Amino acid sequence: MSAPEKRGWLPRILIFLGAIFIVIYSTAPFIWMLIASITPEHVATDDAVWLSTRKVEFFPSEPSLVNYFTLFDNVPFALYFRNSAIIATGTMCLSLFAASLGAYAFSRFRFAGRRPLLVAMLMAYLVPSVVLLVPLLVIFKNFGLINTHLGMIFAESSIAAPFVLLLMINFFTSLPRELEEAAQVDGCSRLSALFHIVLPLALPGLVAGGLIAFILSWNNFLFAFLFTSTDSVKTLPVLMRLFALGEPAVWGVSTAGAVVSTLPVALLFLAFQRMMISGLAAGAVKG
Amino acid sequence: MNNAVVTPGRAMKPHRQKIDLLPYYFLAPMAALLIFVSFYPAGYAVWLGMTDATLLKLGQEQFTGFTNLVRMFNDKIFLHGLWRTLRWDVAVVFLEFAIAIPIALFLNLEFRGRGFVRASILIPYIIPPAVTALVWVFMFDGNFGIVNEVLVNIGVLDSYYSWLSDPTASFWIIVFAMIWAGQPLMAIIILAVLQTIPKELYEAANVDGAGQIRKFWHITLPHIAPTLMFLLLIRTIWMSNHIDMIYVMTRGGPGFSNYTEAVYSFTLTTQFQIGYASAVAVALGLVLLVGAAFYVRHLARSVLS
Repeated sequence: MSAPEKRGWLPRILIFLGAIFIVIYSTAPFIWMLIASITPEHVATDDAVWLSTRKVEFFPSEPSLVNYFTLFDNVPFALYFRNSAIIATGTMCLSLFAASLGAYAFSRFRFAGRRPLLVAMLMAYLVPSVVLLVPLLVIFKNFGLINTHLGMIFAESSIAAPFVLLLMINFFTSLPRELEEAAQVDGCSRLSALFHIVLPLALPGLVAGGLIAFILSWNNFLFAFLFTSTDSVKTLPVLMRLFALGEPAVWGVSTAGAVVSTLPVALLFLAFQRMMISGLAAGAVKG
Repeated sequence: MNNAVVTPGRAMKPHRQKIDLLPYYFLAPMAALLIFVSFYPAGYAVWLGMTDATLLKLGQEQFTGFTNLVRMFNDKIFLHGLWRTLRWDVAVVFLEFAIAIPIALFLNLEFRGRGFVRASILIPYIIPPAVTALVWVFMFDGNFGIVNEVLVNIGVLDSYYSWLSDPTASFWIIVFAMIWAGQPLMAIIILAVLQTIPKELYEAANVDGAGQIRKFWHITLPHIAPTLMFLLLIRTIWMSNHIDMIYVMTRGGPGFSNYTEAVYSFTLTTQFQIGYASAVAVALGLVLLVGAAFYVRHLARSVLS
């Protein structure tokens, strides 16, 4: 509100402390997870071989990556990671394709039924996942989609696609119409105007929408828990739940798994921070 | 251009106005997808809720009318679940506001390193909820938890305590895990609105000699109030449906102490009672539909304008 150079030393210190506090609050659990993941698990001694000797170590005396190796050797972690990646990428592509075409129609055309169709599709955004769980389970069983990557992609799209639709409508509406009109005057067909003029301009919106779809799907637990039954389809959040139940009761390995599960979305976020923040601000996400 | 609406001037033509089908083609994939994963399933859920369907005998369900509804009103877990859902909603949404608003106001100040702080507050949002649940279970673990260690070290506790087995403590621990994960999105949305408030308003208030509190009350709050109402509505809807954090941390336990209606419906599903599970979910969904209708009306208006 007031320019920084006008501040005295007391406000400056308060702001500094506030910033430190917020950063610690937001990162401390994650940092504790990192520390726990590099703390080796069992240091068996002769008199207590049968006891778990884990102690709370604020800083590991002998940091090592052994938990990460255990994770990939003893748990089908790579497989779960692959499944999460396939399903999240599929959800991203399907949602982007369906929702951005739909959003383009809503923002650039006036057609009969525009308002009721829009209201219906926005309602889909609010249909609770709890309501969809059981019917999707039965429908997927009938269609042979249960415990398949494709079925998971469809289920996740029920959350991601309506969000991307909303985000892209806002985005297309903010783009100037004149460019497309100029292109059409120059003899471009409407379709080629879409592909050559609109899509390149819409790239930031598409990136934000796609990333959010990816993250929503990557993070989703409910559908994955109910619609998958074998290691070849199960995703990381399902494994995280097993870990949280204490199976296997090896916290070092569990936290290593948690770190690796978070890495892809964290890196994506860091790389596209600006676009994502504006995309998130454009709408509220299910969570 | 691209105008498919029949205009009066063109009605002169003897043959029917040709309707521009292009927008409908563009909408077709989205419509097909939503019918398949959202609309048809939602209708199917209503039907299943009026049957005795179980997962073990798929396709042999019998229509039982409102039997499930009667069962709900005699079901203690369901009835107490109403209170548990309300308690969960109020605790999470209220505390999220209590944290998100100050953070948003703080980030609206100009200071060096603001971008870094803004990015770091989104970390809890990016972390998968199942991972957050895992980490919080780990921190409050009865044998290896850091919280126990710290509390024993500073002398608050004599010995390690099994936090998540305590109905009251587990509720608040899940609530705080949820707030930690959910509050960043709210802060970012509020911050985006704060940044649209014209600076001139504050400058004019300075000239008039208004203090910080008056400026907040008369300028800031009126500007963010619509967004706060909208967030209140949408977060209450999402939180009523929320399952992940509760289910991963304690499966709704200890006992039934954290069984919100959503968790109850989910648990019934895992116990194969899909007819009754649907009935509970649909009942919850119908209550939330009232709020959802307000939201969609507001949204459709802002999008179409």
